Amino acid sequence: MSRLRGLRDWKGHAWLGLATRLYLAWVFLAACGFKIMAPASFALDVATYDILPLSLVNAMALILPWVELFAGLMLVAGLRVRAASLLIAGMMVVFMVALGMALAKGLDMSCGCFASSGAEEDPISYLTMLRDAGWLALALYVLFFDRRPLGVERIPWVARRLG
Amino acid sequence: METPRTIVRDAVIVVALSVAAAAAFNAIRPAGLPWIADREYETMVPCPEPLGEVDSVAPNDPGIHHERTLLIDARDDDARAAWSLSGAVAVPFDWLEPVPDGKVRELVRTRAGRVIVFGDGGDPDSGRELARELAGRGMRNVGFVRGGAPALRASSAGEGGGR
Repeated sequence: MSRLRGLRDWKGHAWLGLATRLYLAWVFLAACGFKIMAPASFALDVATYDILPLSLVNAMALILPWVELFAGLMLVAGLRVRAASLLIAGMMVVFMVALGMALAKGLDMSCGCFASSGAEEDPISYLTMLRDAGWLALALYVLFFDRRPLGVERIPWVARRLG
Repeated sequence: METPRTIVRDAVIVVALSVAAAAAFNAIRPAGLPWIADREYETMVPCPEPLGEVDSVAPNDPGIHHERTLLIDARDDDARAAWSLSGAVAVPFDWLEPVPDGKVRELVRTRAGRVIVFGDGGDPDSGRELARELAGRGMRNVGFVRGGAPALRASSAGEGGGR
């Protein structure tokens, strides 16, 4: 128990967490740009997974990239990073479930994770699932171990305002 | 101090901000995406069919008329009624449906030393596609006629073949 607490309280988490956050932020900021600018293409990707009812496809395509954008910016800034990593972990779980269902159905389709580039250039596979699992692990690391993140919340004035 | 409750609260706030940002950005976009799709997305995803390697043969290749060659006409009934090579087996190629297993078994049972498929000669050529499908499903030594039926017809007209 004390070893676990020692691991949790290790001072190096702030720096390791910063590197992890910047990497995750880079991934999600890269992922959201095309989706925000071309929601119709992303909506087609969402619809191709054949999981959501038609009435929710467009709403998902419109909102999800903005969640990715805000979460990415929060990770970069060090602002409420645990909430941001919780959102990213949640998205990764949703993506992995969707991928698993598509793979189980044998769909030969684009992942839709980044720019929509078609099934031939960006096909889904178990490697996509493995990659998402890696990002999920990183998000969980930030959520559980980056308790005093390096970032704007270390500025006393900001810390006071946020409470 | 962040608690699980405040982390979830912050995450919910980010989602709410994302909804607001998505709504605002979509409203000022020249052709915004409707929040509820007004028609089904065309998400036809081809089922992965195993495709094999095939070679192409010239329309005047003497192997076409060899006694151990199985000739397959990949075109539809109307095209075959207009012209076909005598002795060619009809296996109309369908872009959506694979050749029935029973038909493939029937073709394999002929024990032909060479299988040559001819199609419409278009781009893509139904003959080439059928040849690849048959090769992918276990048939060996499969080829297709370059230029398809039109090229064969022109070639056999010079030799007095076909019907």
